[in-house]
Amino acid sequence: MFGQLFIKECRQTAKSLIFWLIVLGLVLDFSTQLGGMEIMSAPVEGQEEYGYHASTDEDVIIESALGALAEEYCRKNYTTYPIGFYKSVTLSKEEDRRIGEIIREASGLDGREEVEQTVDDWYAEQEQGETPMTSGGCRLEPAEGLTYERFIELMEEADDILGGGSKYGDGYRESNAQVPMTYEEALEEYQLLIENDRLSGGYARLFSDYMVIFLGILPVFLAATRGLRDRRAGMQELIYTRKASSLIIVSSRYLAMLAMLVIPVLALSVIPLMQCVRFGNSAGVSVDMLAFVKYTFGWLVPTIMIVLAVGMFLTELTDTAAAVLVQGAWWFISVFSGVNTLGGGMYGWNLVPRHNTELNWRGYHDGFSQLAANRIFYAVLALALVIFTAFIYSQKRKGRFVIRGKILADRKNKLKA
Amino acid sequence: MSTAIKIRGLNKFYGKKQALKDVNLTIRTGMFGLLGRNGAGKTTLMKVLAALLPKSEGEISVCGRNVERAQSVRKIVGYLPQDFSMYPNMTVYEAMDYLGVLSGLNKSRRKERIPELLQRVNLQDDSRKKVKALSGGMKRRLGIAQAILHDPKVLIVDEPTAGLDPEERVRFRNLLCEIAEERIVILSTHIVGDIEAACENIAVLDEGEMIYKGTVSDLISMAEGKVYSAEISKRELEHLKKEYAVTSMLTLGNNVMARFLADKQPFASAKLCEAGVEDAYMYLMQTKGGGISCSDNYL
Repeated sequence: MFGQLFIKECRQTAKSLIFWLIVLGLVLDFSTQLGGMEIMSAPVEGQEEYGYHASTDEDVIIESALGALAEEYCRKNYTTYPIGFYKSVTLSKEEDRRIGEIIREASGLDGREEVEQTVDDWYAEQEQGETPMTSGGCRLEPAEGLTYERFIELMEEADDILGGGSKYGDGYRESNAQVPMTYEEALEEYQLLIENDRLSGGYARLFSDYMVIFLGILPVFLAATRGLRDRRAGMQELIYTRKASSLIIVSSRYLAMLAMLVIPVLALSVIPLMQCVRFGNSAGVSVDMLAFVKYTFGWLVPTIMIVLAVGMFLTELTDTAAAVLVQGAWWFISVFSGVNTLGGGMYGWNLVPRHNTELNWRGYHDGFSQLAANRIFYAVLALALVIFTAFIYSQKRKGRFVIRGKILADRKNKLKA
Repeated sequence: MSTAIKIRGLNKFYGKKQALKDVNLTIRTGMFGLLGRNGAGKTTLMKVLAALLPKSEGEISVCGRNVERAQSVRKIVGYLPQDFSMYPNMTVYEAMDYLGVLSGLNKSRRKERIPELLQRVNLQDDSRKKVKALSGGMKRRLGIAQAILHDPKVLIVDEPTAGLDPEERVRFRNLLCEIAEERIVILSTHIVGDIEAACENIAVLDEGEMIYKGTVSDLISMAEGKVYSAEISKRELEHLKKEYAVTSMLTLGNNVMARFLADKQPFASAKLCEAGVEDAYMYLMQTKGGGISCSDNYL
């Protein structure tokens, strides 16, 4: 029964307008972000630049953080991302005074005027090419005798004063310290892409990075409309009285939607794969032909699974499209909280783990166990939600747990009264 | 195995409101009519029997299966709800096929059964038509076809003739009678004509209470000697309505031929008539039910 029902549900999904709108959204996402993608060639010595990367050098981290703090102190305005949302922070007199003290202790600069002068001087030197080129803003030399531990304490305090999510908090300090890559570093990155990722692995990560953003929200529309379709069509009771178990009905719908969403993703992945294959043939690189399939199932499917499951669960629970709002909020927070982890390697528990580069294999490698835990967690959570959905469905079939019916009955009673 | 539906001491509450009050009933093979005005509790009883609503108290067995074992009951019950439709963009065949899969029928059985049933409900030429293109009567017939798709022992139809034109209504009743030859068919309606034409055994519900169960002829015999007719002026009609329950009337120029209930001859021109099901139902509602409302008079 399950197999036949699964096929029927796939057909229903294929005939639904919302499914084709989602496919259109994915195609647009792909064509705008990856449509003009070119496969990276090996770096050539003497190139103008080789890109940037986050430095692990403590001195660079200190200089970057102090420079950013000094600039924001001069502007009397700070940018933070508490729980991923942009926030403009203006401090009270007392808080402003304390930030000034932190800068004085960390850099030796005393008072706003001296800080402003130093920042201006630094930019003037940059223009004249007297200081090394950096990505991002100003760099400030630390005060003599400042230890890295004390620097961390001061930055944590500054982050607390700013309400969290600032450039001075844990994680952000390091990713903020961007430095230009040398030829040797760029070559090493490229070698890792060719040898460890076999080219297609890196591009499959980049593909996943772009697709996961849309897949973190679009499937909820499909789940919500499927959940509401029976009631809208007046077919609920005809289905409720059938022999099929609730688990079979719910799981066949879920897996059909999942399968139908994976198909366009895999189809789109063929385009960058072919680009990799063409490049690989000319450059003599042995391309991993299954890389996009592996990343689709490992990176993207858990996100599709959880978004569909949240959609089905909340739609069945409330008989409304509330799932779209809930998922929309979750997606918004996830996307914005990923702003500072775009370079990859810091995946955390984000619903939409980011890795916006074909490079940084090392970051991926180091963060792999966290990424795997993240993906497994969401996949398991999704399956648990599907089981809960089947439970709610079975209760509704027996006339229990009908929240919407009760709400409507209450409204009618009040109207009558 | 039992072939009857047995209901003992059934009570159903919606919060504090009692929708069914101590219902006791046995329903055997054939057409069974469940009559009562709107809101009498008919749909609640139907849904409890179809395992769509939990009972509050009492015992129910459907052909030997406890109604609380919903999965087991679903295998032998076909249900046609009062308000239903199907996915509008599916064709008639696709809708039947989808419900057939949910009923556990394999592909070959569905291929054999669906055309057979569509023929039975006279929709064989419409199998490729989309559900949204069907008329109300066609939808009802499709509803019956889907309800007996898995060859259930019990068919429950809730207000199936509401909104149908007279021709469709007769066709639909005949179809139900055919189906009832081999299974229990419970027909719930507030239209007395449906019961009169199709059912031998009936029950009457009023405000959740079962005020009558038995044969149609026994119900009619209860009203024997209580039904009178008289030709009166339209002015006198208002007075007659205040005194007696008028069951029907026919306008004859300035006069009206009225049919009404009375314990004894009320005036000389009133003639005793043979009671019909409608008269008997009205008499029952007047004597045992919660009285007769204007809507019951059909005037």
